[in-house]
Amino acid sequence: MHIAEIDNLSLNGNSILHKSGTISKVILTLLILISIIISKDLYRLSGLISIVLVLFVVGKIPIVQIGHLALYPALFSVFFAVLSAQQGWVAGLVIIFKAVGAALTMLLLITTTPYVDVFSVFSLFMPSLIVDIFLMTYRSFFIIADRLNNLLTSIRLKGGYKPWQIVLNFKTIASMLGTLIIQSFEMSERMYKIYELRGYSGRIPIRTDLKPVSKIDFLLCLAGMIILTGTVIPWKI
Amino acid sequence: MSHIHIPDGIIPFYLWLPGYILTFIIIYLVIKRSSNEQVKRVLPFTGIAAALMLIAMSVPLIIIPVHISLAVLTGILIGPKMAFLVVFVVSMILAMFGHGGITIVGLNTLVIGSEVFIGAMLFKRLAKNNLVIGTSVATVMALIVSMSMMVAIIGTYAGFAEVLPHDAVEHAGEEHLDEGNHDDSDLSEVVSEINYLAFSGWIALIMIVVAGIGLETLITVLIIRYFYKVRPDLIETVHGFTM
Repeated sequence: MHIAEIDNLSLNGNSILHKSGTISKVILTLLILISIIISKDLYRLSGLISIVLVLFVVGKIPIVQIGHLALYPALFSVFFAVLSAQQGWVAGLVIIFKAVGAALTMLLLITTTPYVDVFSVFSLFMPSLIVDIFLMTYRSFFIIADRLNNLLTSIRLKGGYKPWQIVLNFKTIASMLGTLIIQSFEMSERMYKIYELRGYSGRIPIRTDLKPVSKIDFLLCLAGMIILTGTVIPWKI
Repeated sequence: MSHIHIPDGIIPFYLWLPGYILTFIIIYLVIKRSSNEQVKRVLPFTGIAAALMLIAMSVPLIIIPVHISLAVLTGILIGPKMAFLVVFVVSMILAMFGHGGITIVGLNTLVIGSEVFIGAMLFKRLAKNNLVIGTSVATVMALIVSMSMMVAIIGTYAGFAEVLPHDAVEHAGEEHLDEGNHDDSDLSEVVSEINYLAFSGWIALIMIVVAGIGLETLITVLIIRYFYKVRPDLIETVHGFTM
């Protein structure tokens, strides 16, 4: 996972996209995503991917740093591409382009918008409990990843890992995970008490900016609509 | 272990939309039937369970071309209802990072959710007599059911060849480009290209599935056994039994 890397880009980035409202970026992402899903020819998909890449440049996101994440869905789509290749190689490429385009669009959103802000938009149409689990997961991920790293280091230092002794290694890993879960559970009990002291009533309050406030937000929504319209209308070249 | 990795734009809407609708209905029912006090108490640990699942599902196992999910373990530790919500959140976060499409989140939640539900329910019934055997049977049965669901969903649309562990298939991309159709002969040909250790074909495929199920079961059993030695109260509270 590259959550820390993505988090750093979304929080510390300084571009027009980073400064614009979350809702407008979510709308733009959805409209581009719909355009990609409904596109059936290579030219439209190439155009849409080019637009997303231009947006990466506008957002000052180093595509080389996170672009490899888009290759993951591309690899999985290769098999579907192979099936569709019976209808010609273009059909196969369309599937790969769709997968890469959709992944790049999602990457654009999460590298220009902090996680908490994305989840706050979720709170508009999702139950608060689900949004709370999203926030808790995000918070817990870093704590657990850090603890896991420390445990692995101490296991190696204390000779708990022995190459070719598979059974011993499995037992060590299971004990390590068990310790990690128990420590995490105790941590969660402390977290619950802290939340209660701070007035937690079963819902974490998060603020959502409902209205697009700047010209950039309107422009992003407009751009999304133009992209979708451009995808839907037939072009005669 | 059962997780659909299909990217967006491939599965038609008449397949993924019902998946989302059914998922949201189950989520609605889970939230409606959970008391606020109960939710408040388990919420911090729910986040931790989700983070553990996220880590487990993000790490590919080098020795077997699959990844574990710790879904049954999550179901046992926090109960099937909250675990279903965790599965939805984890599937959504993974989809945001390109690990399966956004449109597949509903279907993935149903597949892994079935694993969670069956695993937790069987554990509750069987583990009071023998913890190790009960956990093993619960995990194996849950994995078989969820994998069957995954095979049925993908196989219905894309052909059963797509369900195979792709990392183990060699040169599939090159050799299928000129083929006419993808029926039984296509499946047999893709299976024949699977290699694992010194085996190939159906034997290699069976070995991968057995090794995957075995590894997930082994990890779940060892963690539950360790958990029961150190903090038995946690499992007893969720499942309401003592050993």
